[in-house]
Amino acid sequence: MRRKWLLMLVFVMLASVFLAACGSSNSNGGNQNSGNSSGTNTSSGSSGSSGSSASKVTIRLATWAGENEAKELQQILDELNAKSDIYEIVQDSNPAEYDTRLITQLSGNSGPDLFWVSAQRAAQFAAEGIMLDITDQLNASGHDAAKVDDYYDGSLMPFSRDGRIYGLPWLQQPVMLYVNKSLFDEAGVEYPDGTWTWADFMDAANRLTIDDSGHHPGDPGFNADAIKQWGFTLNGWPPSQMFIWQNGGEVILEDFSESPIDTPEAVEALKFYAELINSPVTPSQQVIRDRGFDQMFRNKQVAMFMGGAADDLDSTVENVQAFMVPAGNGGIKATFADVLGMAINKKTKEPDAAFAALLDLTDAIHHWKIMPPRKSLSDLASLQELHPKKAHSLEAIIASMEFAKPYRYFDNYPEWDNVYWTQLMDPIVNGGADPEGLIPNVKRLLDETLK
Amino acid sequence: MEHYIGALIRWLLAPVVLIIAAIGLYWLFRAIGWSKRQAMGLAIVSPWIIGFVVFTAYPLLQSLYLSFTESNIFGGSKWVGLKNFNRLFTADIEFWSSVRITLLYALLSTPVGVIGALLIAMLLNNRIRGIGTYRTIYFLPAVLPEVAVALLWRWMFNSESGIINFVLSPLFKLTGSGVPDWFGDPDYVLPAFIIMSVWGIFGTNTVVFLAGLQGVPRSLYEAAEIDGATAFRKFIHVTVPQISPVILLQVIMGMIGALQVFTIAMFVRPTTGAGKFMNQLVYERGFAQLKMGEASAVAWVLFVIILLLTLLILRSSPLWVHYESEVKR
Repeated sequence: MRRKWLLMLVFVMLASVFLAACGSSNSNGGNQNSGNSSGTNTSSGSSGSSGSSASKVTIRLATWAGENEAKELQQILDELNAKSDIYEIVQDSNPAEYDTRLITQLSGNSGPDLFWVSAQRAAQFAAEGIMLDITDQLNASGHDAAKVDDYYDGSLMPFSRDGRIYGLPWLQQPVMLYVNKSLFDEAGVEYPDGTWTWADFMDAANRLTIDDSGHHPGDPGFNADAIKQWGFTLNGWPPSQMFIWQNGGEVILEDFSESPIDTPEAVEALKFYAELINSPVTPSQQVIRDRGFDQMFRNKQVAMFMGGAADDLDSTVENVQAFMVPAGNGGIKATFADVLGMAINKKTKEPDAAFAALLDLTDAIHHWKIMPPRKSLSDLASLQELHPKKAHSLEAIIASMEFAKPYRYFDNYPEWDNVYWTQLMDPIVNGGADPEGLIPNVKRLLDETLK
Repeated sequence: MEHYIGALIRWLLAPVVLIIAAIGLYWLFRAIGWSKRQAMGLAIVSPWIIGFVVFTAYPLLQSLYLSFTESNIFGGSKWVGLKNFNRLFTADIEFWSSVRITLLYALLSTPVGVIGALLIAMLLNNRIRGIGTYRTIYFLPAVLPEVAVALLWRWMFNSESGIINFVLSPLFKLTGSGVPDWFGDPDYVLPAFIIMSVWGIFGTNTVVFLAGLQGVPRSLYEAAEIDGATAFRKFIHVTVPQISPVILLQVIMGMIGALQVFTIAMFVRPTTGAGKFMNQLVYERGFAQLKMGEASAVAWVLFVIILLLTLLILRSSPLWVHYESEVKR
C-alpha cells in the first residue's frame, strides 16, 4: 500500500516538473517574439531610436496572406523596416486555419505582437480584452493613419467598444453590382446608374433572363426549364441584411437589445430576397452548386453579380464594370462592407514599437489595397493610378463607401449569425421556405443570443 | 533565425529532460525496494507515460472540468454545474438534429464499410498473377489526403456532370423522381455521406481483413470440402467464425471513426437543414463562438455515446465472436 502511494507521489512530481518545464519554455517563446535584440534593449525600450539596426525591436506580424499576397506584403515590410529605427517587422503568414491558429497562440500566451483580424473576430477580441486599447496613443499621434476622423464611420465600428479603439481597419470592401456590359448591350438594357432601385433592378434582371428560344420570364412561351442566361444570381450571398437596410429595416438594434426582423420593412425585404431565390431570373441553388457561383458570371451565363469591391471580376472578365448596388424602393442606399484590420496583442512586450509598426503598416496597406477606409485617400485620380485595372469601376466604389457598413458585430455575434443562417436563411435559400412563417420563431432565438 | 535556434534548443532539450526523468525514476524505484527489472522497465516506458499524462490525460480531464463551466478559450471559467448539458438537452437548436445525423451515419455506414472491406479483402486473398499489384492499387486510396478526396466526391456528386447521378439516372427515371441535389436537399445529405463512406472500405480496413483471412488454416477449408460444403457454406461456417475477432475490431473502430466524422463534413458543407455532425458542433462552439464550456459538453456527450455503443458491441460479442482458445460460457 505504502509503495503504491509513493509511486503515485513520484508520478505527480514528475508531471509537475514536466509541466513547469513546458511553462518556462513557453515564456521563452514569448520573449522570442520580440526578439533577442529586445531582450538586450529593455532599458532603452522601443522608443530607443539610436538609429543603429542592432537596437531595433522585432515585431512579429501574423497574417492570413497567401503566397502571392505575402510576397507583395514582404516588399512593403522591407521598405518600412529599412525606413524605421524602431522596429523590424517579421512576417508570419499562413492562410490555413488562420483564426484557429491565432486564437490558440493568443490563449497560450505565445501570440504575435501584431495581427490581421476580421471585423467579426475584432468585436469578439475587443470584448475578451485580447487587443491593446490604442485610443490614447491614437489621439496623441500626428500620423496620417492615426486620424480617427478620417476613417469612414462603418470601418471603425468593429474595432470600437465603449468609446475605446482597439485596432485600425486597413480595408473596407463594399458590395458592388458587377455588370456584364456586353449582355446588357445585347438585351438593350441601360447600365445601372445611381438612381436604380429594386424595381429597376428586377426589370433589368427580367429582361436579361433568356430561355433558349429567346423568351423572357412573363412572355408567353417562356420555358423556365431551358434558361440559357439569367439576370442575377444569389445563394445566401449577397447578405439579406443588406436588403433589409435598403428597405429601412434593421437586423440588430444599435443598443443590441433586439433583432427587429419582424418589422414590416424587414419582412418585406426578406420576402423580396425569397422571391429572388425562387424567381426564374436567378438560377436554382442546384445549378449554382454544379456550375459555380461566380463562375457562371464569368462564363456569361449570368448578367449581374454582387461581389466585394476588391473582386477581380471587372479586371479579369471582358467588358465587366462595378456599379452601386440598387437602392430600396424607398430610395434608401445601403451596402454591406467587409472590413479587415490589424490590432496589437495586449500582451506584447513592445507596445510602443508595435504601435509605430501598426500605424506605418496600416498606412502602407491603405496605399496598396482597394478600398482604403479613409476619406482622404478616396481620391479618384490617385486611386485610378494605383489600380489601373479597376479604374473604370472606382468612381462607383468610392461613391459606395459613404453608405457602406459592416454588420453590427458583438461578442456573441457568431452564435447570432449561426441562428440567422441555420434557422432563417438556409431554409429560405435551400428549402424554399416562406420567410413570414419562420420569422416569429427566429426572432425569439436571435433575441436570446443578444441577452 | 533566433526563432529557429530557440525552437531547436527546446527540441533537443526535451529528450534530455525525459532521459534525466527516466534515470531519476529508476533510482527512485530502486530506493523504494523495487527489483532492477521492474524499475528498469518502468523507467524505459516513462517518456510515454509522461507524454500520455501531459498531452492526453490532463487535457481530457481539463475538458471534463470545462464542460461544467462557462468558459471561453482565453481563460476565465465560471463553474455553472450542469447548465451546459441542460441547455444542450432542452434548449439547443442544433444538438438533437446533430445527434440524430451522427448516429444514423454511424449505424448505416459501419456495416457498409465492414462488409465492403471484407468482400474486397476476399478478392485480394485469391492466388492469382499480379495479386501484389492489385493489393497496392486497392491500398492507394488510403494515402490520399481527406480534403482532396472530399473535392473529388463533390465533383462526383455534381448533378449535371457528376458520375454518381449518371450511374443512378436509370433509377431516377424508373421512379420518376428528379435528379437529387445531394448537398442542398436535407433528405439527400445523409445518403450522400453514406455513399462517400464507401471510400473507407479501401485501405487499412481491407489490409486488416486480408491479414485475418490469411490466418485461417487451410485444413479447415479442406475438411469442409471433404464434407461437400459449397463456397457460400465455407464462407459462412469457416471464414466468418474464424475471422470474427477481426470483424469485431473493425466494427468497433469503424463505429468510432464514423461517429467522429469531421474533415469531409467541414469541406463539403451541405445544407444545415439535415443537421451538423457532432464534431462540427464541437469545433464551431469552441473556435467560432469561443465557448469552450459548451464545446466540451458536446464532446463529452459524444464520448458517452461512443462508450455506450462500444460497450454494447463488446457485450454482444460472445454471441457472435469465435475465439480459438475460448471455453464456451
